[in-house]
Parts: sequence; structure tokens; C-alpha cells
Amino acid sequence: MDRKRIVITGVGVVAPNGIGKEAFWQALKEGRSGIKAITLFDTSPFLTKQAGECSDFSPEEHLGSKGLRNLDRATKLVLSATKLALEDSGYILTDQNRDDTGVVTATTLSVINNISEFTKEAQDAGPQFVNPAAFPGTTINSPSSQISIRFGIKAFNSTVSTGYTASLDALKYAADFIGLKRAKAVLVAGVEALFFQSFLGFNKLEFLAGIKGEEISCPFDKRRNGIILAEGAGAILLEDAADAQKRNARIYGQLDAVKTFFDPFRTGKYNPKADGLKRAMQAVLKDAGIEPSSVDYILAAANSVVNQDAFETRVIKETFGNRASKIPVSAIKSMIGESISAAGILQIIAGIGAMEHQILWPTINYKEKDPKCDLDCVPYKSRKGTVNTVLINDFGPGGNNASALFSRWHNE
Amino acid sequence: MNKQPRVVVTGIGIVSSIGTGRKPFWKALTAGTSGISRITTFDTTGFKCQFGGEVHDFSPERYIEKRRVKFLGRASQLAIAASSLAIEDAGLVPDSIAHSKTAVLLGTTMGEKPLEDLVQSWVKVGIRDLDRRRILQASANNLSANVALYFKTKGQNYLFPTACAAGNYAIGYGYDLIRNDGIDYVLAGGSDAFFYVAYIGFQRLYAMSPDRCQPFDKNRKGMMLGEGSGMLILERLESALDRGADIYAEVLGYGLSCDAFHPTAPDPVGLAKSMKNALAQSGLTYTDVDLICSHGTGTPSNDKAEAQAIKSVFKDRAKRIPANSIKSMLGHCMGAASAIEAASCCLAIKDGIIPPTINYETPDPECDIDCVPNIARKKTVNVALNNGFAFGGNNSCLVLRKFKK
Repeated sequence: MDRKRIVITGVGVVAPNGIGKEAFWQALKEGRSGIKAITLFDTSPFLTKQAGECSDFSPEEHLGSKGLRNLDRATKLVLSATKLALEDSGYILTDQNRDDTGVVTATTLSVINNISEFTKEAQDAGPQFVNPAAFPGTTINSPSSQISIRFGIKAFNSTVSTGYTASLDALKYAADFIGLKRAKAVLVAGVEALFFQSFLGFNKLEFLAGIKGEEISCPFDKRRNGIILAEGAGAILLEDAADAQKRNARIYGQLDAVKTFFDPFRTGKYNPKADGLKRAMQAVLKDAGIEPSSVDYILAAANSVVNQDAFETRVIKETFGNRASKIPVSAIKSMIGESISAAGILQIIAGIGAMEHQILWPTINYKEKDPKCDLDCVPYKSRKGTVNTVLINDFGPGGNNASALFSRWHNE
Repeated sequence: MNKQPRVVVTGIGIVSSIGTGRKPFWKALTAGTSGISRITTFDTTGFKCQFGGEVHDFSPERYIEKRRVKFLGRASQLAIAASSLAIEDAGLVPDSIAHSKTAVLLGTTMGEKPLEDLVQSWVKVGIRDLDRRRILQASANNLSANVALYFKTKGQNYLFPTACAAGNYAIGYGYDLIRNDGIDYVLAGGSDAFFYVAYIGFQRLYAMSPDRCQPFDKNRKGMMLGEGSGMLILERLESALDRGADIYAEVLGYGLSCDAFHPTAPDPVGLAKSMKNALAQSGLTYTDVDLICSHGTGTPSNDKAEAQAIKSVFKDRAKRIPANSIKSMLGHCMGAASAIEAASCCLAIKDGIIPPTINYETPDPECDIDCVPNIARKKTVNVALNNGFAFGGNNSCLVLRKFKK
């Protein structure tokens, strides 16, 4: 593809440990966790009680009180993050640019809540009496459509539902669309909301921490035994560099490459070879045209699952050889939990913060070393570090793998 | 731009209420066969609409190893079967696509069926008896993952839940990946199974007809729910020629637009824009088009808005370009609809025959376009547009052209 320079000019975030970029970055810096006892629903049927909940989130604060009644929690989370990103970017949607502005949203699970509630209402009230206004919410593209309606985005509105890698898959889609001139600016958003049914599902699958061990998100730690499920939303504005410069936008960094590969193994299981993730990381380095030695920092997919963290460690070592132990590799999911489709966008925003502040975020809850995870995970506390380039990984037991590389902006 | 490869369609796989496999499907479609029958998937007591486009004769074991069938939801089964048919139709063997240069791109509206089974079980029985296997298969991302797992493809894997336009989103992005990302093969299309939530939801929006779908007819009463899957094999022209594959059509480009207007109501301006974008991107003008495969759902609002959009794009030619709706026969197969319709365009181009809009009786002055009423028509089709519109203002239009060296 014609290598256009694609840059990030706005970020917005609603995370369990901070709302707004400054609050989020400050929380990461302090190693403050957003994981706590769930208040959104009753956890008494479950063995596990904790999640990354955005408990301070008040949609009215961001969106006003009008027009919120028929919107679900995921939509309110992502509308808020998107609004913050647009404000942060100074990009004003007008009739002149809305046909050149698109949005792609990563979300997979949130719709389950709406389908459940809709079905429950049909059962309780009778199927002839369900609220028709709730029906559009039972399709996964609903949050993205609400973004387009609220902000008047008209080039396109797409949704990508690929689970753990959805944010990075959406990022690739957006970058391709800018490269192909299908749009000049694209909002990339990611969201999952926390709700009873998904918590129930992850519990039954025994994917959650606290079923086979301590209820804690401790990536790379020997005690790790599953994810802490989380909610959250993030959004970034991507633009062609020339356009961003023309409007004197503040440029956070550039997207050097993003690649996604599938690993056909078994549903719900990790491929022990983790070929797909390796292929993605290597393809990103190749596509960006940089040596592995130029990667300063990695924001890992590591989510406190036994295999996930060990496999990612191994693939990083295979990719970076002797240098692997010298690259800081942070697992921010230690602080915010695993937010599936939103994970990648939150990692990207963390990566931008790391470049902005030249800081390495900590992997908290790190106590017991595991020889299978012997990287420098920036344990316990954040520290100063040079961050000119940051590599972001995401993968999961579904078979999808993705990797992206960002670098600081150098005006040429 | 000249260096970019041309992209062609070389394989078609269909599972539909009127036929499974390219040939039976096409034969039934050009004969104007209706796939609408009394609904058996769930209880319809108390509803005005008792009919839909269910696929009755689908036996997944014909396409999927028996031991794997029970692990897969119906939407995945439909998609794997259609993929398998498309691969065979393209003259490929599964091994030849089991690598990192094959992408699987799938569109859907409702996602995977085990979710609905779980939710029903949760609503009726509670949380005790939820089946683990179903939980694992409940989230929508399983759809594209299951196809990739089955055929061991290792390239990009995307699920586009862009509702009733999703198939076009998948095929369009497949075209982008082949042109710009070094991908060899793309399995692209859509799949949706009959879904209770969709059935009651569309009824509550008063969008459904009680008995039949009559797109563009003055007395049209609404859509019919359908199910099925359509999958296409896309590849570079060079690759197709090298292996002597049959080429159905060339993908010239596609256009998207977003109404940013209303969650369910269509906006003629947005619809027209996706057609204009598609033509502009393909380097064509409105005078080049020989066929519009309309979105044509049979709802009063869609058909009126679409006819208006067609008239605004095609001006003086609007009434002379055939604009058929195969939803009159299949009902609305949701995420699969625009993929099956893309296949219909490819076959119309290949065979020079345009499937009809059946159940057409009374002209509607608000829909005064040529919908190819009731009987298929012989006509050379060089360029076909495939419209796919959806809730949320997701508009798409795919451009297919007769292949010429």
C-alpha cells in the first residue's frame, strides 16, 4: 500500500482506573488498580466477585442528559470516550468534512446484554409487547451507529467483532481506509461493558481468576490463574499526517504498522506454538522497516492467564533474541483487567502516554517469579524510560492475533 | 494505481431456502422460486407473520465432519457449508488456501445462534443449566473464527456485524486486502441463522409482512425474515488466469456511506451516496450500469427511499435500469443477504439473465423503477451494482463487472 503517514491526533478514554487521558495516565503512573468488588450486579451466585468496573463513570457528565434513555452502557461508555477524543483532537466536524470522516468500533460481547434483556422482556411481558426501541441495540453495530449519529460522521461506520484483538483489527481497518483515501480522518473506538451475562459466561468457562487460585490480575506472576474481566472504552482519532499538519493539530505519534493473523487451533484454546502472534510481530517490524533493536517498549497482551503470558514471553524472546530481556514489557491489564475488544485501544492510549511522558507503566501485583515469564515486566512501580517506539500485542484463545507499532512524531 | 492487481470472483457458495450450491440456487432464482414457508424454528403463536425463509433441507454433516457439527452453532454451520461449496466451485482444494495469505471475512446481523439458546435457557430455567459448549460458541466472533479454524486459514480474520449490509462490507474489505495487502485468497460473505430476537424485533417495528415479500409493489406490507449464507472466493486476476479458473466477474470497487441520521429509518441521501461513492471509486459513471441488485426489503420505507436514491443517482436512466430484489424470493437473510445478492450479480453477469422480483402486482408511483417483475429477463449485464443497507445507517454498494482481458 502507498505508505501514507498516519498519525494520532486525539485520544479519549474511560477506563476502570481513570476517565480522561490525564487521569488514566496518572493512575497508570501510580500503579493504581481499577479492579474492585463489582457493584453493577449481584455477584452472590459466583465464586469470584471482582472486575475492572468504571465505577466513577457518569454518562451525563460527558453527554448531557438528553437522548440517553434508550442507550445501553456500552454505547454510553464509547460515546463518552469518543467525545473526549474528538475534543482532545480539536477536530471539528462540519458539513465540509463529515463525508470524509469515518468511524470503526471494536466491540464483541456488549450486545449479549441487550439480547438477553430483550428476550427476558419478551418472556415476561409477552413477545408482542417488547419495546421496539430496544431492538436496534440487539445488533452489534449499534454503538458505532450511535457514534455516527451523535457526531454526524458520514464517510462510513463499521464495526469489528473479533474478541481480544478487535481494537487492533479495527485500527488496521481504519489505517487501510485512510491509506486508500476512503476517508481522511477515522475514529477508532473500542468498548466492552461489564454485565451479568458475560461475567456468568466467563465464570462457567472458568476463565476467571479466583476459580483455580487467588482472585487477582497478576500477569507474568507465577500465581496467575485467569483474567479479571473488565469494561472500558477508548477512542483515538487517526488522520493522514499532511491533513493533520494542515490544521495544526497536535500529533501524538504515528502508526508505523499493524498486522493481524489467525492461528487455526481449537476454539477456546491457545496454540502452544503461538505462531500467529509471532507472525504478527515480525510482520509489523518488517512492514515498519525497523530493526528489532529499535523497539523501545512493549505493551503486552499478558492478562494473567497461565498460557497467554508464557506464550507471549516466548514469542517476544523468539522475536527479539538476546535483546528480549532488555526491553521493558508492561502488562497494564494488571491494573485495568481484561476488557476484550477494548483492551487494544486502552493499550494504544497507554502507549501514547508512555511516549508523551517518557515513562514505563508498571505491571502491578507482581510477586512470585515464573521462569516461563522472565522478561522485564517493569514490576511494581513505573519508572522513567526512553520510549520512541512502542509495540502493542493482542491475542487470545479464539485464534486471532494482532500487533501494532507506534512511534513518536518527528516533523520532517 | 495501475500496478494494483485486479480482483475477480472465482467461487460461489450458497446455502439458501431455495437451493444449496450455486447451480440449484441459480436455477431456482431465475425461475422465480419462493423460499418462504411456515416458520418451524420457534413458536409464532400470536404473531401476524407466520412465514419466513427457513432453510429446511440443510444437513451440516454433508459439509462438516460429524464429530465437529455438534460444537458449532447454526450460523457457523451455514457459513462453513457455503465456504466449502465456494472453495469447490472455485476449483480449489482446501489445502491450497490453508495459509497466511488467505483471509476470512464474514458479515452477520445477529451473530451466533448458541447465544440465543443460552439466553432462552437463562430466561426460562435460570443460570444453573447453561451448557459450557454453548457458552464457548456464543459470542459472534466465533463465526469468522470457525470458518478459519475449519479451513485452517491464517491470514486476516474479521467479523463485520454491520447488520443487513454486512456481506458487502466483508467482500469490499476482501477486495482491499487483495489489492493492497498481498493476500492471495479471500473467503468473504455473510451468514445468519433464523433468530427469535430478530423475528419479534422486526414485528414490533411493524416491518414484517404477514405472508409474502413484495418489494416495490404498492401494496407491499414489509419484509420476511430469512436465513442462509453466501460466500465468495476472491483472488487476483493473475492467479485466476494462471490456474485456469472460471471467472464470474471482476470486483471493480465499492462505496460506503453512513446516514448518521436514525437507528432504523433509511435516508435516501445516504443510500445515494454509497452508490455514487461506489461508481466514483470504480471509475464509472451512472450511464455504465446495466443492473442494480437492490436492497429491496419490501418495507414501505426502504423501497421508497431506495427508489428515490436510485432516481437521484441514475437520473434519466433510472427507469430503464433493471433493479431487482431477490429478497422477494428468499426473504431477508440479514448479514448474508448482500453476500447472496453479490453472488446473484456475478451469475447475472456470467449468464446474461436477471432474476425477477416476484410477488409484484401493483405498481407504486413512489417506486417507479424497473424491478424486473415476476419473470427473469435475458439481458447482457456488463456492470452490476449490489446495494446493501442496514440499521444504523450502514450503507454499502459493491460494483461488479463482466470480466474482460
